[in-house]
Amino acid sequence: MKKFTRIYFLLFVLILLANAGKAADTILIKNGTIVPIEGGIAAGNDLLIENGKISRIGKDIPTPAGAEVIDAAGKYVYPGLVAVMTAVGVTGYPRAGNDTDEVGTATPQMDPYDAINPEDDCIEVTRIGGVTTVHTISGSRSVINGKSVILHLEGTLAEDMIAKRYVAQIFNAGATEQNKYPSTNPGIVSFLRSKLDEAKEYAKKQSEQGKKIEDKDSREGDRKDSSKRMDMEALVPVVTGKVPALFITNSEVNIRNALALIEEYKLKGIIRAGHGILKYADRIAKADIPVIWAGTESLPQRWEPHDLNYHTAAVLEEKGILFTFDSGGYGPGSRNVRDINRPAAISVAHGLPEDAALKALTINPAKIFGIDDEVGSIEKGKIANVAIWSGSPMQERSRVEAVIIKGKLIPMTSFQTRLYDKFRKIVGERKKKK
Amino acid sequence: MGKKCFLILIAMTLITSSMWAQDLALKGGTILTITKGTIEQGTIVIQRGRITAVGKDVVIPDGIPVIDVTGKYIMPGIIDSHSHIALTDVNEATDPVTPQIWMWEALDPGSDSIRTTLAGGVTTVKTMHGSANVIGGVNVSIKLKYDRPIEELIIPGVRQQLKMALGENPKRVYGEKGRSPSTRMGNAYVARKAFVEAQEYKAKWDRYEKEKAAGKEDLTAPKKDLKMETLKMALEKKLSVDCHTYRAEEIVWIINFCKEFGLDLIQISHCIDGYKVADVMAEAGVFYGGWVDSWGFKEEAYDGCPYGMQIMYDAGTKMVINSDSPVVGRYLFREAAKVLKYTDIPENEALKMITLNAAESMELEDRIGSLEIGKDGDIAVFDKHPLDTTTKCMMTVIEGEVFFDYARQSVTAKGGSR
Repeated sequence: MKKFTRIYFLLFVLILLANAGKAADTILIKNGTIVPIEGGIAAGNDLLIENGKISRIGKDIPTPAGAEVIDAAGKYVYPGLVAVMTAVGVTGYPRAGNDTDEVGTATPQMDPYDAINPEDDCIEVTRIGGVTTVHTISGSRSVINGKSVILHLEGTLAEDMIAKRYVAQIFNAGATEQNKYPSTNPGIVSFLRSKLDEAKEYAKKQSEQGKKIEDKDSREGDRKDSSKRMDMEALVPVVTGKVPALFITNSEVNIRNALALIEEYKLKGIIRAGHGILKYADRIAKADIPVIWAGTESLPQRWEPHDLNYHTAAVLEEKGILFTFDSGGYGPGSRNVRDINRPAAISVAHGLPEDAALKALTINPAKIFGIDDEVGSIEKGKIANVAIWSGSPMQERSRVEAVIIKGKLIPMTSFQTRLYDKFRKIVGERKKKK
Repeated sequence: MGKKCFLILIAMTLITSSMWAQDLALKGGTILTITKGTIEQGTIVIQRGRITAVGKDVVIPDGIPVIDVTGKYIMPGIIDSHSHIALTDVNEATDPVTPQIWMWEALDPGSDSIRTTLAGGVTTVKTMHGSANVIGGVNVSIKLKYDRPIEELIIPGVRQQLKMALGENPKRVYGEKGRSPSTRMGNAYVARKAFVEAQEYKAKWDRYEKEKAAGKEDLTAPKKDLKMETLKMALEKKLSVDCHTYRAEEIVWIINFCKEFGLDLIQISHCIDGYKVADVMAEAGVFYGGWVDSWGFKEEAYDGCPYGMQIMYDAGTKMVINSDSPVVGRYLFREAAKVLKYTDIPENEALKMITLNAAESMELEDRIGSLEIGKDGDIAVFDKHPLDTTTKCMMTVIEGEVFFDYARQSVTAKGGSR
């Protein structure tokens, strides 16, 4: 008995040590074609990862002691893809519905961070598809939906996964499908104006109160809690231009109204567009507003050329607009966030240069949400989020061979690979019996 | 009524179809024949709508219009065996058993969905009743001859399929109305009850016809019932069955059910769990008709697994990729490329899933799905290999007629970006 206990203890210690090693893997990727996206063409085919960061890109990097070496000969090393407008982490428990879209017309205080489930099946499925970082939103169906966060798809606790909290407030300029006010586009604009006015007023009071508190040299806790409003607290950083206001739009009217509000309230705007963006492209380019283009696959209107939406990203690029593609992965509709390369590939087929498409899936979303100093390209000092592909992500047939997130080598498994293993065996055994 | 009209329509189509057939030759492209390998710098000749020559050294007969497709790829027109395009209505969601519904009666040849689908290289679709009812309507297989009379769209002489649906959709539609079926047990009961009645109906009519043929007098014909007429056709195998279901236990259930009633089950649509019972499906000879990597968009679709196609391929399950949507229907070639990502299934087999296999799942493999002499001149031209996902469709030809031409029908053709 005692002997066994000792062995188990030893095993336990060994596992602990092994895991401790994993926490800061030293990984050397050798002989790969490195596609850095930004910072110029990589001189050399080796990439060294230390302490969770990209520490060196070069030729014939000597293997550090204890480093895991990955031979990437004939393979391509890309930065991890960054997918926006997802529900990864909050898709809910299997067969129990999802945890997005709280009830209410204005729920700016909703924070997906509060619902992150590190066991969400969508996390593994998404990351072994080469997506290492996601922008997860609280919902999309209300007029004011809530906060959104950036997650790296590695970690056993929400606090391990979170890269940045409250990166944007999600507004929906076309949320007319409510059975109460506001149910029209003008209604939504008016509703938003009143909320934004209220938030400005609240911010003003808050700063006055803050001054008073400072004068008194008292602690923050001395403020009257009864005057604290969670919804307004969430909107203050938006009206003061500290947190971007991301407007979901689905039509020309929605875009126009969103642009008007952005200008009127001097918001740090982001436009997520499903249709009709080209008419406003010049105005958006001039105002330097980033775009999340969601309409690549949308069917054209009867009077439009069949490939108008397929071609739109190419126009956004031409106009110099900072854009990314919508993953379509939020809500109950789709958990296929790993398919974010499809709208990009379609756009490449219809005129978008391939390097621009790759930027749109990596550095552009990082720039839009202010994390470009950390991810989105393979550059020294950035977080080591990289994926080794058999070919370009623009090719649907390309396979993701290895994924590293925050310097950790990710197991290439998901509940889907486990289902495969399970049923390969079951089907095989049943066939043998016959 | 529906049946009679349909037969007349088929007869009309047979008589008139050759009138619109066209002559065309495509020269200089890489031809992916599907059945007979790849031909570099090949030529394909279509006369009166049918392929009359495919090869490297083909002499184009005089008077046939020639299109130079040098550097481009030619494949058979893509076939989508589960679609709801070109219809004015999809679901007669008022009763869980509606076999009296014939989808050709909702066919809209001017539907914009035909225009956009053509631009994805698709030439043939099976456009179907929805999934609200356990027994829906009779589907219709059509050529995408945009804005022509429906006689030109409907493919003559082919056995059509009765749409059935199990699982969440009928449960939800009728359960929410406080009606049966609201459970999977209810779905099973509704289907069984309908076919038991149909068996009795058929027996009555068979007896009547037999006695009539024997010259017996004073006979009263049994009362006609349009629902039963269609189900009788299914029992007589004049219609086959395409069943919508996601889950493994339902896949096995419908296979057994169709055996019990002597129905020809030809395709299981969506079939998310197909890989779990790949051997059962292979033995039943029924087609997997689904997507490549969709999962989790509803509860019963949770276990979608793209790697599962390998299990099905190895088990000998017949497979087709289909769209179920006008959006996906425009890029089935991209879906086929994804098969190569998740499995080791060969390229040509992946292409078969959107061509020859799809034709077979619609019992049209003698007419379409590969580029061979005698088959219909249905062709999709791509600027790169169709499994290269930076490609786009350049031209779609149906029976020798150009129905989509990128050079004329694209943003670029209209002078680039607006």
